Amino acid sequence: MTAGMANLHGNHACALGAIAAGCRFFAGYPITPSSEIAERMSRELPLVGGTFVQMEDEIASMAAVLGASAGGVKSMTATSGPGFSLKQENIGLASMAEIPCVIANVMRGGPSTGMPTRPAQSDIMQARWGSHGDHPLIALAPASVKEIHDQTIRAFNLSERYRVPVMVLFDQVIAHLLEPIELPAAGSLDLVERRWANGDDGYQPYAAGADGIPAMTRPGDGHRTHTTGLTHAEDGFPTQDPDTVTRVMDRLLGKLDQHGQDIEAFECHDTKDAEVLVVAYGISARAARRAVRQARERGIAAGLFRPITLWPFPEQALRTAADQARSVLVPEMNAGQLVLEVERICRDEVRVAGLNRVDGQPIEPSQIARRIEEMAADD
Amino acid sequence: MTTDTASAEVGERQQPGAVADPRTRNVLIVGVGGQGVIMISKVLALLCQTQGMQVKQSEVHGMAKRGGVVFSHVRYGAQVWSPTIPMGEADVLIAMEWAEGVRWLPFLRPESGVFIADTQQVIPPFACRNRQFGADMAYATETPAEIIGRVSDGFALDAGRMAEELGNARAGNTILLGTLSATLDFPLDDWLSVLNQFVPKGTEEINRQAFLLGRDWVEKARQDPAGPAGLAPELAPPPIQPDIDVRLEITAEWCKSCDICVKLCPERCLELDEQQIVRLKDPDACTGCRICEWLCPDFAIAVHHDNLAEANA
Amino acid sequence: MTETNPAGFEIRDYLRLDLMPHFMCPGCGHGIALRALLWAVHELGIEKDELAIVSGIGCSGRVGGYIDANTYHVTHGRPLAFATGLKLARPDLKVIVITGDGDCLAIGGNHLIHACRRNLDLTCLMLNNEVYGMTGGQVSPTTAETRLTTTTPAGNTEPAFDACQLAEAAGAGLVGREVTMQTPALRNLIKQGLEYPGFSFLEVISDCTEIYGRKNDLGESAEMVLSQKSDMRPEAYGNVADQPFRPNRLLTGVLARNERPEYGETYRRHADGVANGGKAGA
Ligand code: SF4
Ligand code: SF4
Repeated sequence: MTAGMANLHGNHACALGAIAAGCRFFAGYPITPSSEIAERMSRELPLVGGTFVQMEDEIASMAAVLGASAGGVKSMTATSGPGFSLKQENIGLASMAEIPCVIANVMRGGPSTGMPTRPAQSDIMQARWGSHGDHPLIALAPASVKEIHDQTIRAFNLSERYRVPVMVLFDQVIAHLLEPIELPAAGSLDLVERRWANGDDGYQPYAAGADGIPAMTRPGDGHRTHTTGLTHAEDGFPTQDPDTVTRVMDRLLGKLDQHGQDIEAFECHDTKDAEVLVVAYGISARAARRAVRQARERGIAAGLFRPITLWPFPEQALRTAADQARSVLVPEMNAGQLVLEVERICRDEVRVAGLNRVDGQPIEPSQIARRIEEMAADD
Repeated sequence: MTTDTASAEVGERQQPGAVADPRTRNVLIVGVGGQGVIMISKVLALLCQTQGMQVKQSEVHGMAKRGGVVFSHVRYGAQVWSPTIPMGEADVLIAMEWAEGVRWLPFLRPESGVFIADTQQVIPPFACRNRQFGADMAYATETPAEIIGRVSDGFALDAGRMAEELGNARAGNTILLGTLSATLDFPLDDWLSVLNQFVPKGTEEINRQAFLLGRDWVEKARQDPAGPAGLAPELAPPPIQPDIDVRLEITAEWCKSCDICVKLCPERCLELDEQQIVRLKDPDACTGCRICEWLCPDFAIAVHHDNLAEANA
Repeated sequence: MTETNPAGFEIRDYLRLDLMPHFMCPGCGHGIALRALLWAVHELGIEKDELAIVSGIGCSGRVGGYIDANTYHVTHGRPLAFATGLKLARPDLKVIVITGDGDCLAIGGNHLIHACRRNLDLTCLMLNNEVYGMTGGQVSPTTAETRLTTTTPAGNTEPAFDACQLAEAAGAGLVGREVTMQTPALRNLIKQGLEYPGFSFLEVISDCTEIYGRKNDLGESAEMVLSQKSDMRPEAYGNVADQPFRPNRLLTGVLARNERPEYGETYRRHADGVANGGKAGA
């Protein structure tokens, strides 16, 4: 796909973003509403010397992505709710063994098979805690076709730089939305390449410098390291020594902390003086934006805080945005997930409420507008 | 391995008495698997049949292609009863392998038996006295000249080399058949026509030449016992087992006392010590076979053949 | 004929010595299988740097970690899927999967049949000890009927898989089986698997003495490997059983070989076609 303006579906924009980011391996399994990502990748990858494979199941596709990435190739998969559940164990392996990978999850109504063709935002907590045990990861929530493209590129950059699985969470509506987007020219993008071990004799695959991120090695580079999902010491080999485990787990779980600036992306609209702050992401943020504008037109000091990075949550940015707020509204297409995080972060005296929909229908601007008015009146 | 004893009775319908010389003649053919013992005995049996004789053929085969012993008793005459040749009654002993010939000598008629032997040596694994490197070979040490001096009528030839010179290394058994023919009273043409029925299509001519070569060789040896044909060829010296120094390297820290090596060492020369760690209790018995090395799941034993390279050089 | 004298093969050259002795129980057949594998690798001259070992979970999963190569110890049942990604992304690597009867046939069964079908150039070494040893000795898909395990206290009532038949039916390029006691033969089999350009499935009959053997009164390791050996029907002798003295139920040797296109090659040819004006792209 050449640079310039194009009309694209969200799923196609995701695929093209991946290619632009340097993704050269995709393994997937058909699932509504994400299948177009796999379909597009099956056509695009051969053009750039990459490999597409449709695996026998969701688990296998996640495992294959890790295999390819361990081989040194930028890799991704795409799925939706049930498939996302199946991938969780291997996502945990990616976190533990620090194998970069990107997972697009096009959210649909759940639980279980739910509503495969209807949108939802109900995998937010699963994205964070779906795999067992404490584990580092990043989740991004684009809100438009253009943003799906750009955030997919960013997902690769973050994954390669910080050696964590990065999830791109969007929903069935944007996935299948056709929007014009400007595709960047090849070479105009800032792409992150993995930092490779430089051939030192004393190389330890999980020993990190000040930035907390160890350099990686490819098979064939001569280091012959061990990669395992078992808790391992800096040398890569399993350990259960409490001191060692504490040291390596502290590094693993804290490795994103010092990079918040780079990782946490968000947008603020009229938040400076906002008394009623709406915190919304993805498709719901589009409705919220309109509702906030309408509220402002009616003289209500409303504002919108839109996290693009959901995990790790841009905590400080929200605190700043909510500085003047007396109440915070969190509209989500689920029974109330991110609202818990918002509640945790906001000052005690701030009233935090959710606006939830689980019927497979996007939240409408008017719904949000009404709640803003109610909240403003209550204050 | 299967061992079959086959007793074939052919020519049963021939009338006894149709034969000029009614005395039963005994031909013992010996060798090792894959040499063509059975082929020679079949040719002879069929030939006798065409001559109107009764024939009994008894053979032991098996281990074909694996160097096992193969022998065939062929008895023919006007009336043959027993299928096997008693000790000391073979009129002809034809051996396709040297040591086999020597081993079967007691079957030959002491006063009149004819001994024909190929000097080819096929040394069986069990000729090795024990499994130590450098152990003696229990292979026949008698030279052809000694044996020929001992029997009433003896011929030793290197049929394999003769066949090679003729252009078909596989025709050695036909050469031996030719030598056999020179010691028995059957017409040449009958030999050749029976032979033709046994050889593979397209090899009739080379086998005819091989047959005649063997037959002529006996004639020449008879005419000129001191000539090139009469002189028994030298035996190749028996191969010497290299004397390799075997050294067991035991990594005690890796041994988990599982006992596999102790129980499966063929020489029973390992044991577990007081700490239940493997130890070589009988270094002299160790043959360096490596079984302990292969089967130790913990790589605690390494078998070194220290001077292997020199020994092979 | 291949040399049975491993002159030049020093197993220490292929081990991570600082991890030795390995963690497997006394007499565990997995160690013998590991030797045979490394011996084969040595004889084929495969460089350690280009060797990638992928293993799953269980005792078999821990075997790979002792090899001085690029080793991956991944999730339970998924080493074949991981290896598929690795090999497709890095065709230059020699990728070997070490798995077990539970890892490969139970939780990973789906990946096995599809790896067989795809015929990507991988060698899958399944160490079959008929039991989940790591978790304490539960019944596995290859546990023989009537055997005692911690989850079949009155004897196993489920029939066992014949993994080689399964692999052959699923289309594996090369299928073979060997017992650990035939170490040189096992090495030869592994060499054939490694040389086969496609998916090779090799089952190693291994012994779990400490748990399975003890529970079922099968003797010590020496007795177990001997009885495995006497149970085999080598392909070299026509896979015949000499009933009734020995039931010889285990067919050993190379049991199936199909000349099928290697999937990586096929994909790259297809991709080149697409790249050179095929049907792709918008
Ligand atoms: S090499 Fe090992 S098995 Fe063989 S004889 Fe010596 S100690 Fe016994
Ligand atoms: S086989 Fe190995 S571990 Fe077992 S007793 Fe012998 S040396 Fe020790």
